Amino acid sequence: MTSQLEQEVADLCATAERYDARHRRIADLTWPDGARIAVNFTADFDAMLLRRLLNEPPMQLAKGEFGGRVGIWRLIELFDAHGIKATIFTPGRICELYPQALRAVARSGHEIADHMWEHHVPKDPAQERDHLLKTANALEAIAGRRPVGSRSEHTLGLLKQERFLYISHESADHRPYYLSDPDGRNTMLNLPFHYAIDDAMFYSFAWLGSGNAAQRITDPDRVFDLWWAAFWQQYRAGGYLNIVVHPFVSGRALRIEMMDRLITRMKTLPGVWFPTCEEVATHCLDRFPI
Amino acid sequence: MPWKQGYTISDEVGLRDADVRWPDGNRCCFTVVVDMSVARGPEGISAADLMHPDAYFAAHDGLDQVLAVFKHFGIRATFAVPAVIAQLRAERLRMVMAEGHEIAGNGLKHEDVSGLGAADEKARLDLATDILTRTIGRRPAGWFCLPRQDDPFAGGTISPHTIDLLIDAGYQYMGNGLADDVPHYWVTDFASRRAMLTLPYYYHFDDQWFLLFPRKGTGLEHADDLFRNWRAEFNAQYKRGRQFSMVLHPGAIGWCNRLQLLEDFFAYVRTFPGVWNPTSEECARYWQVTYPTDKTLKLEPSVWRDYPGSLS
Repeated sequence: MTSQLEQEVADLCATAERYDARHRRIADLTWPDGARIAVNFTADFDAMLLRRLLNEPPMQLAKGEFGGRVGIWRLIELFDAHGIKATIFTPGRICELYPQALRAVARSGHEIADHMWEHHVPKDPAQERDHLLKTANALEAIAGRRPVGSRSEHTLGLLKQERFLYISHESADHRPYYLSDPDGRNTMLNLPFHYAIDDAMFYSFAWLGSGNAAQRITDPDRVFDLWWAAFWQQYRAGGYLNIVVHPFVSGRALRIEMMDRLITRMKTLPGVWFPTCEEVATHCLDRFPI
Repeated sequence: MPWKQGYTISDEVGLRDADVRWPDGNRCCFTVVVDMSVARGPEGISAADLMHPDAYFAAHDGLDQVLAVFKHFGIRATFAVPAVIAQLRAERLRMVMAEGHEIAGNGLKHEDVSGLGAADEKARLDLATDILTRTIGRRPAGWFCLPRQDDPFAGGTISPHTIDLLIDAGYQYMGNGLADDVPHYWVTDFASRRAMLTLPYYYHFDDQWFLLFPRKGTGLEHADDLFRNWRAEFNAQYKRGRQFSMVLHPGAIGWCNRLQLLEDFFAYVRTFPGVWNPTSEECARYWQVTYPTDKTLKLEPSVWRDYPGSLS
């Protein structure tokens, strides 16, 4: 009996150690020109695509459509007014729905990165590759260059093969870190984002299948306070913040105004760097290689 | 757009701030919708819903309170009324009309029509239109498909036939769309540009999601969040020169603590010059004349390609 329990404990530890070994932290991370913090504004430009994928009803699609017709344009204006280069994670299909907005994103110098073909990664390797290439080709046709980042669960081997530099989809560390795939063969830089710094969590009804009793929809003043606290803690720590927004959510007028206040307040402090995800990735890969 | 049937309902780019104009040099449009339904869920108003103190309150004390606040601040509103309520509360609605408010439709029983066949839905729409016409002495101009607290989503429900049926029935506007925050056109046929004017709705300005939601007794009371949402959206839309639109339920907002916030909000809005407060019908009529589909709607053919293993 005791030996069986000992074996269970040992197995759990071995499992955790294998998982832990896939992560490599960058302990001594510093930013260019003595910046105290790097703040990435990232937008997941799903519009109605994820709603359609989940077979949600027509009004839900219209809620997403706001992001393509209205919200994305306001985000471009907001970031441009502040001289901020953002990263727009874009499903390939969006190129067939909102090409004008994506061309405007590219013209303003924002980064356009992969967010899957249709907001999911097929399990079949050939189809997965087909989806990634379709997306990269579609984004390249609009932006004039191939994407180098991905917010997805695409396999790291495939992303490396297609010369992607970074991923952005987990939060195992406050700061960028290196993540390896389960067999340890491929490693890639991850720019972490946290669900508590994601607009949909606070504003989007029925987000990620949440039921009515689980709604926490709230006003922008409260989210301002939460996000400012996150920024301030990382500013003092000399760290990193990835703020995730969705054009159909944060493109609403009351939230654009809130982000305008947030950015304005961030800029009152010295040493706040607002790069694209690609710039953060290039800096980390050059100066803090694995 | 590029148009994509089953994905998009309107054109690729919404009207920019600089292109939005309101009558008489007004800066911002301010519309108030009162949902007279007492339905809890998708099945629409039930006997149990009507045999509930909230239903009585919504039609009497709550409605009186809301009307008094409207009168005090000179607010004009559109009342979205399920036909069963129109028949039941005809006297109350005539009083509402006498104070300058509009009456519009909101379902036969405010039921979810998304699973109905076209013939069934048409029969319900026709009967509802008849009852409303008898009650208010004219055909209603507007129709709403507002959400209920027990719905799985907070946007309202329609079927694939609803908008076409409303156009056929002669309705001038659909009252709650989410694809823009000013009026916009809901296209039902790309080739013919058949479309219905749709007025903006967003659940963050609808009281029912913040006042003892999801259920009286155990739900969460966030009247303060609601107030801050109204204020923040009004500020932002006023600055942009667009539209602010709110939805109120007399059974919810008519209760004292919430009523105070409503009064505070209207008092705040009144300090701003150039706020145009039409009924939804007046807003729709203005929009149809100023922004007709042939000049406003910019639809581009679909460029969507179907691939094996992809969404179609």
